[in-house]
Amino acid sequence: MKLWKRVLPILVLALALPAVSSALDLPKIVNTDWLEKNGADPAVRIVDIRKPEEFKAGHVPGAINVFYGAWAVKRNNLDNQLPEDEELLELVQDSGIEKTTAVVIVGKADTTTDQVNLTRVAWTLRYAGVAKVGVLDGGFNKWSADKKPMSTDAGKAAAAKGKTSPNRPYLAAKEDVLAKVGKATIVDTRMPDFFFGVSKLPFVARAGRIPQSVNLPSAWIFTKEGAFKPMEDLEAMAAGVVGKDKAAEVLVYCDTGRLASGWWFVLSEVLGYGNVRMYDGSSQEWAADAKAPMVKYTWK
Amino acid sequence: MEKRPSGDPSLCGQCHDEIAANFRKSLHYTTTGLKSGVSPRFSKEEAGTFAGKVFPKACNSCHASCGDCHLKSPAIGGVSAGLLQRHRFVKRDEGKTCALCHGGRVYPEFTGEYGGTPDVHYQKGMICLDCHSKSESHGDGSVQASRQERKERPSCAKCHPPGKETSEKAKSAHAVHGTKLSCSACHSAGPYRNCYDCHLGKGAEARPGFILGRNPRDPKTVTTLRVIPTVRDTFASAGIRMEKYDALPNYWGTAPHNIKKRTDRTRSCESCHEEKELFLRKEVLLPGGSKANEGLIAVPKSLK
Repeated sequence: MKLWKRVLPILVLALALPAVSSALDLPKIVNTDWLEKNGADPAVRIVDIRKPEEFKAGHVPGAINVFYGAWAVKRNNLDNQLPEDEELLELVQDSGIEKTTAVVIVGKADTTTDQVNLTRVAWTLRYAGVAKVGVLDGGFNKWSADKKPMSTDAGKAAAAKGKTSPNRPYLAAKEDVLAKVGKATIVDTRMPDFFFGVSKLPFVARAGRIPQSVNLPSAWIFTKEGAFKPMEDLEAMAAGVVGKDKAAEVLVYCDTGRLASGWWFVLSEVLGYGNVRMYDGSSQEWAADAKAPMVKYTWK
Repeated sequence: MEKRPSGDPSLCGQCHDEIAANFRKSLHYTTTGLKSGVSPRFSKEEAGTFAGKVFPKACNSCHASCGDCHLKSPAIGGVSAGLLQRHRFVKRDEGKTCALCHGGRVYPEFTGEYGGTPDVHYQKGMICLDCHSKSESHGDGSVQASRQERKERPSCAKCHPPGKETSEKAKSAHAVHGTKLSCSACHSAGPYRNCYDCHLGKGAEARPGFILGRNPRDPKTVTTLRVIPTVRDTFASAGIRMEKYDALPNYWGTAPHNIKKRTDRTRSCESCHEEKELFLRKEVLLPGGSKANEGLIAVPKSLK
C-alpha cells in the first residue's frame, strides 16, 4: 500500500506529461527567443531545410535536416510539386513527426525564394496532416545574428510510430481553379510585371494571369532582413486586396506553387482566413494548357 | 610566390607522412583512371604518344592537391571560389571541394540541381564522405589503375542488406532481380547528364538521358549506362587515330547519384518489361559509334 502511494503520483505525472507537451502553444511565426526556450521540448521538432553542407556547419540545437528538395519535387515536368502521398507521409514519419508534433521550420532567409521555401514546407506539412506548424521568423539568419546557441551534431530523429493523413482541402488542382474563376478570390502572388503580363519565366508557356485574379506579391510579406513584416501591415495588405471577409474562398497561385505559399501561410495560418487553398501547378501548368484562359496588359 | 604549395604532397608530408605517401599513389593524384579508361583503344605506339603528349598536358594537369580539398576550392577552368574558412585548414567541406571537380555530373545530380529530384541520401542530410571513405580520397597505399580496383568502395548493400526489406513487394523484387540488375537500374530517379561528341569539331554537347543496358564490366548484369564522349577523332590533333577504337563501347556502367526509393520502375513491372523504351536498342545506338556497343543491348522479357 505504501509503495502504491509512492508510485501513484509518479504515474499520474507520467500520464500527464504528454498531455502537457501536446498542449504546447506554437506560434505560427516563431521568434528566436521562443525557439531557444522551447526547442528542447519533446513535443517540438525543429526541421532545418537548408542544404546538408550548410546544416553540418552549424544549426539550431536539436534540429534535424530534411532538405527543401525532399518536400518539393519535380513531378510531371512541374517544379515544386508535392511528393506523392505515400512518399510524403513516409518522409514525415521518418522525420519523427506525429500529427500533434509542433514543427518549427528553419532555413535561410537571404532571398524571397529562401523565405517562401519556409512557408512552402509549412504548407506541405499542413497538407500532410500535421496540426501545428510554425516558421522561424528571419530564419537561420536571425538565429545566427542573435548569437543563439549552435550545434554541429548529426541531427537525426527516430521515426514516428504512425503515419499522418493528407489534408486535401489545402490543395487546389487546375480543374478547381477553372471552376472558381469569377466565383472565388484568386490571388496572383507574383510581382506586378508578371501579373500584368510583360514578364514571364522561361519555363512558363504564356505570359499573363488567370482572369479576374488580383495581385498580392509574396515578396511584399518580408522585410529586407527576411523577417515577416509587422502584423498590422500584413493584415492591411490582405484586407486591401483579398478583403476582410475571412470566410471567403481564396485560391493563391504563382509560377510553380512556391511563392504562393507565402500568402497562403499569412492568410490561412497567421490571419485566420478559413478557406484558402494553393494551386500547386500554378502558371507552369496553367499556361501550358492552351485551353486555360489567360489575360494580360490590364490591371483588372 | 608558390602557386600551388601543396601541388607536391611533400610539404604536407612533413607532418602527415603516411597520408602524403598514400596520396602520391592515389587516383586523385595520379589521375591514372583517365588513362586506363581510354588506353584499350590505342595501339602500342599510340599509347606511347598519349602517355607522352596528351596525358601530362590534359588529364594529369588538373590532379588534386592537398590544398584543393582542405584549404581552398579547387580551380575549375582556372577559377577558384577561394579559401574555405579563411586560412584555416578544414577536414572536409564537400560542397566547396568535391562538388566542384565532380560538378559536371555527380554533384548536381545528387543535389537535384541538374533538373531532377535530389538523391534520397542528400535529402536525408548525407554528403560525399558519408558514403565514400577517406581511403578513396587519399588512396590506401596501393597503385590502382581505376576506381574498380579500390578495396573500399561505396556499396548500397552495406547499409541496405538484402533480406532486411520492410515490405514484401521490395523483398520479392530484390529476390527476383538482385543478381541481374544493379541497384541504380531501378532506383535511379530519372535522366542524368550524358556528354556527346568530345572534340568532334562542332564541340561537345551535354543532354539528359536515361539508358539501361548490359554493364560492359559485367555483361550478365543490366545497369544504368552513361555515354562516353570519346569519338573516333578525339585525339586526332595529337596524331592518335585510335586504331583499336572498337575495343571499348561508347557507353559505360554508371551509378547516377539521383537515387530514390520509389521510381517508375519500382512501381510498375510494365515500365521495363512492356514499354522497354529506356533500354539501349539498335536503332538508338550512337551513329558511327563503337562496334562494341551492340554487345550492351539487353531486351527484357515480356510479361505475357
